[in-house]
Amino acid sequence: MNAPERALSFLLDEDNAEQKITYAADTKVSNAGTFTINKEDHTVANLFRMQLLRDPNVRFAGYIHPHPLIHRIDLKIQTTSSTVPPVDCLTAAIEDLAGETDHLIEQTTNAISKWKKENQAGMGQFQ
Amino acid sequence: MPNQRFPKIEILSIEQHEIKFILSETDTSVANSLRRIMIAEVPTLAIDLVEFAENTTVLNDEYIAHRLGLIPIRYTSPDTLRASDCNGAFLPHRECVCFERCPRCSVEFELDVNFDQTVKERSVPEHERTLPFTVTSADLVSNHNSVEPAHFLHADEEGNSHDQGISIVKIGPGQHLKLKAIARMGISKEHAKWCPVAVATYRFYPIITINEEACARLTLEQKQELVDVCPDRILELDEVSGKLTVSEYAWEIATYTEDLKVAQDAMKEKPEDDDFVTVEHSTDRFIFSVEGTGAMDVEEVLMSSMRVLKERLQYLSQQLEQIREI
Repeated sequence: MNAPERALSFLLDEDNAEQKITYAADTKVSNAGTFTINKEDHTVANLFRMQLLRDPNVRFAGYIHPHPLIHRIDLKIQTTSSTVPPVDCLTAAIEDLAGETDHLIEQTTNAISKWKKENQAGMGQFQ
Repeated sequence: MPNQRFPKIEILSIEQHEIKFILSETDTSVANSLRRIMIAEVPTLAIDLVEFAENTTVLNDEYIAHRLGLIPIRYTSPDTLRASDCNGAFLPHRECVCFERCPRCSVEFELDVNFDQTVKERSVPEHERTLPFTVTSADLVSNHNSVEPAHFLHADEEGNSHDQGISIVKIGPGQHLKLKAIARMGISKEHAKWCPVAVATYRFYPIITINEEACARLTLEQKQELVDVCPDRILELDEVSGKLTVSEYAWEIATYTEDLKVAQDAMKEKPEDDDFVTVEHSTDRFIFSVEGTGAMDVEEVLMSSMRVLKERLQYLSQQLEQIREI
C-alpha cells in the first residue's frame, strides 16, 4: 500500500524538483564541502571515493549512503589548500575515471577479439 | 588527467553463457562497480504487462504474469546475429514519447493454448487424451522478429534437454489460456527479472611466496605436512630437490584457508620467526567469473556494463559542470 515507487531508486523525482547533484560548503572546516548526489549508490560513490583518495590535493574523502531505501549519497571532500576547491577535485576524479573506462572498453574489445582469433576452432557452436 | 590508471584485461575463457577474465592494474572500487553494474544496471527486455483474455488453468492470473516476467527475453541484433545489448534498439518506456506503448519501447507476445484443440491437432493416442501437458515459453509468439524468449542458455543445452522450453503452467482437459504479454526494457534495480546475469563475482588473485631460506631448515616430512595441510592443493613438493613449489594452477584454486598458517606456526622455533609460505590477496588483480541467464551473451553484458558506467560518468560530470556555474 505505502510501498515506494520502484523506479524512484534510479529516476530523479521531477515532481519534487530533485537535482542530481547539489553542493554545500562546510561551515566549520575550511576547504571542505559535501556533495549530495541523488539516485546513486555504492557503485559510483565508492568509485569516486577511491579515485579522490589517489589525488594528492585531497586530504579527506568519504561518503555515506544513509539507508538502503534512501537513494542518495553524501560525498564529503576536504582539500589540502584553499586554492583547490573540492569541485575541481571531483571533476578531475570523474574525468580520470571516464578515461579509465574508455581505456577498459578498448582493452576488453581487443582482448575478446584476440581470444576469439586464438580459439577459432571452439567457436563453431556460436555460429 | 593526472591520476588516471590504465587497467588491463586478460580473457581466460568465453562461452555464450559464461565468461572468465582477469582484470588487473586497477583497484577494488573499479572491480566492484563493474560487478554491481552487471548485476543491477545493464538494461534487458522482460515481460512487464500481461493482458489476460482467458485463463481457466489452475494458476491465477497474477501467478502466471509473474512466471512470464521471469522468462529471459533475448534480443538478437540483426548486425551481429548474437544475443546482444538491447540499449539503442529499444527505448526505456518512461522515456518514449508514445502515449501508452509503441514498437519503439515494447514488444508484444501472444499466447493461446487450448487443451482440447491442441490434443486434437497433435493426434494424441486415445488413452493419453486426458493427460495434462505443459505450456512453455515456446508457445509465446513474438511480434518482433529479432526478439524471442530464451528457452535455452545455449545450443548444447537445447540438444540435451527433454523439455520444450521454460514451463509456464500445466494445462488439463477443458482448460484454456489466452493472453497478450508486453515486454519492455528495464534494469534490475527496478525488478530482478531484468537482471542479465545469474552469477557475477570476482576473486582476488593470490600471491603465494615461499621463503626458501626458512624452508631450508625444515625436514622433508615437515614440508610434506605443509603440502598436505592445504585443502586446496596449492603447494607441491619436488621429490628430487626436496624443495617446496607453488603448483601450476594455484592461482585458480587458492581459497585462503587458515590451515596453512596454523600448521606452519607449530613448526616455528619462535613464534616471531618468518613464515615459510605466505598466501596473500593481491589488491590490484581480480579474477572475474560471470554467468548469464540467456537474455544476452555474457561478453555483451560485460561490454554493456562498461558503456553504462561511461554514460553515467559523463552525465555526472555534466551535472557537476552546472553546479560549478552557479
